Amino acid sequence: MSEVESDSYLSLVYEDELYDNESMELYESQTTAVHCTDEIPCHKFESLQSYESEFDIEDLQFDEEDESEDEPLREQSTHTLDKPSLDGSNLPNLRYESLTTDDIFQRMLQRVDHLQPVLSIPAEDILLLMQRFDWSEERLLEDWTEKADELLIGSGLKRVHEADKEGENGLVRGIKHRESFTCPICCEDKTETFVMECGHEYCTDCYKHYIKDLLNQGNIITCMGCSLALKNEDIDLIMGSASSHKLMDSSIRSFVTKHNRNYKWCPYADCKCIIHLFDASSLEEYTRLHCSKFVTCKSNHSFCFTCGYEMHAPADCSVVSAWVKKAKKESENLNWVLAHTKECPKCSVNIEKNGGCNHMVCSSCKYEFCWICGGEWAPHGNSYYQCTVYKSDDDKGKSDKDDLRKTLKRYTFYYRVFNEHEVSAKLDWKLGQNIGHKVRALQESVGVSWIEGQFLPESLKILNEGRTALKWSFAVAFYSDPSHNLTKIFADNQLLLSNAVEDLSQLRQIQDPETIMQRKTEFYNKAGYVENRTHALMECGRDLLRKGICKTKD
Amino acid sequence: MSRAKRIMKELLAVKDDPAANIKLEFVNESDIEHLKGSFQGPPGTPYEGGIFLVDIEVPMEYPFKPPKMKFDTKVYHPNISSVTGAICLDILKNAWSPVITLKSALISLQALLQSPEPNDPQDAEVAQHYLRDRESFNKTAALWTKLYAVANGSTVGQKQVDEAQLYGIDPNVVEEFESQGFEKEKVIDALRRLGIKSLDPTDNATVNKIVEELLK
Ligand SMILES: [Zn+2]
Ligand SMILES: [Zn+2]
Ligand SMILES: [Zn+2]
Ligand SMILES: [Zn+2]
Ligand SMILES: [Zn+2]
Ligand SMILES: [Zn+2]
Ligand SMILES: [Zn+2]
Repeated sequence: MSEVESDSYLSLVYEDELYDNESMELYESQTTAVHCTDEIPCHKFESLQSYESEFDIEDLQFDEEDESEDEPLREQSTHTLDKPSLDGSNLPNLRYESLTTDDIFQRMLQRVDHLQPVLSIPAEDILLLMQRFDWSEERLLEDWTEKADELLIGSGLKRVHEADKEGENGLVRGIKHRESFTCPICCEDKTETFVMECGHEYCTDCYKHYIKDLLNQGNIITCMGCSLALKNEDIDLIMGSASSHKLMDSSIRSFVTKHNRNYKWCPYADCKCIIHLFDASSLEEYTRLHCSKFVTCKSNHSFCFTCGYEMHAPADCSVVSAWVKKAKKESENLNWVLAHTKECPKCSVNIEKNGGCNHMVCSSCKYEFCWICGGEWAPHGNSYYQCTVYKSDDDKGKSDKDDLRKTLKRYTFYYRVFNEHEVSAKLDWKLGQNIGHKVRALQESVGVSWIEGQFLPESLKILNEGRTALKWSFAVAFYSDPSHNLTKIFADNQLLLSNAVEDLSQLRQIQDPETIMQRKTEFYNKAGYVENRTHALMECGRDLLRKGICKTKD
Repeated sequence: MSRAKRIMKELLAVKDDPAANIKLEFVNESDIEHLKGSFQGPPGTPYEGGIFLVDIEVPMEYPFKPPKMKFDTKVYHPNISSVTGAICLDILKNAWSPVITLKSALISLQALLQSPEPNDPQDAEVAQHYLRDRESFNKTAALWTKLYAVANGSTVGQKQVDEAQLYGIDPNVVEEFESQGFEKEKVIDALRRLGIKSLDPTDNATVNKIVEELLK
């Protein structure tokens, strides 16, 4: 432990004692001033939002009001800085595609077209059969060759006594208008009914009621009186146009759920994308090497294919799950951590954090302090924000109870830093939200081409990836053996990335288009550096996991 | 309101068909959501001679949602909870269709008494009994019918019957363990948990298992 202290730049401001004095209150956000560097004028932010539980993926979604306007930005945003792999590992990226339910439906229709000449029954009937077989062509064909007739009857496409159909009752499927008809379901006199070849006739109101509930279930809908299937055109006829779409949608939903080895919904709130992994067996190799299985959907949401969380390298899924479980358990005691306003340690005025910068200057007394540890800013010096390593006190021979207390405090420290980085990441996103406007401002006022302006969104993306990696690195650090040398190297890497991220974050707060253009090279360099540091940290984290230095017990 | 119309019509249909031997009536004339139905135990089964009373709740969405049914009469049957009377039957769940009526549902319950589905049990203990020893099961089911499924509620009462007999357990087995100092009730509970109805006294493994259960 003493080596840590003697390390020149690790002037750890975190002390257990200091920590004890920390207020455990959850501050309600309500003040204005925020600060940071000397170079950049500080700006005021009026609208405050409080951040709640940090572990719901929905929370990670930012407002997407500008999405449509900025769509072209998104599609080409990977042009400027190409990456071999999302997390810098040597493994090839997972092979996958991002689809929507509509894409999948179109493919299903193609398959139906494909099968039509083989089965030579109406395409609509094939659609029904495919639905019945969970869209598995193979199983359908297998059954078809063995017992086509049985299959058609079982699926409600053919009646047992098909011969009766044309011959005796000569009933044609469809809506009927009747003078007076007492519906056996509702027992009311009705004039509009729906009748099928089986002769079962019920009022359309009852059919509507009946079908409405079943549309979300994705199964074949049959006649209310027997197993004869309603086709999509029947459903649309009864329910009004395009209702069968809903049924197809829910059918595809259940398809995705049943094939969850290869198909996953994007976990982001309201995102309708589906990721289709081509080769699910490749996941095992990724897991074995503690590499991250990240995929990006059409709406540019990145998440882990296995656990559904956001990109969490250098942590692997088991670290994430242990960490999240622990955080949920402890969160009630730790509510205060989530506060994103703090009292000035000197004059107690509430100060809100703006952007990801941890260098706070009180709007009232001008006291400068560190957001993470609350300590005076001066000892943090030029090495910027180095509150990245937990420093335990050296006193040996304490009782078990003290050890437990210390373990909790150690966890609390990591949890707190973790959350600080999460909040910072969100604030950075907020700042970056008007990125489209900024690029347009550059185009208009400075005459920059669209492509040239791409360094802005690109650097924002890199910044966010850096912050996310940094954030999860604290989960890795928590589960790592603190006495091991590699853990210390990991902490050094955290510090380097932390500094790089804060550096870039400061640059990101420049508003003036001309200044932004003038410092374009700086953007490039700092973003490139953040990217390198991010990959280095991930690599180091993987080593910790592979060597078993980082272990989750539960 | 079509639900009311439909229920009234269903009641009439039941009355018009006395041969079916099914009764259906409101618990309270002002409440169309709560009915009681009853039917006779199918002949040739341990339920023969019994009258089985079923509690029926009709949901708002009826007939598009199934009615909630449970036995008021205690029934010893693999698909009916011997404690709550809850029923495990597909047409009352996913296989419901709006064309099914309360009457046809009651007839299905009658058919269920006729042919149990022990592989989809509601009451695991009873189902086990059914699968392991049909003869003993039939005796117990018939005893329950005699005790509980009698007309106009003049029940013999559970207290007058030996608990062991009620669950088809050989009274000698219970006595054996009672003589070893265990309480009768506890012995019966343990035997029920283990699904043991009779015992070969030389089967030491089973005897040990029972003692172990009793000492828990
Ligand atoms: Zn600032
Ligand atoms: Zn109707
Ligand atoms: Zn029909
Ligand atoms: Zn998405
Ligand atoms: Zn994961
Ligand atoms: Zn102050
Ligand atoms: Zn600090």
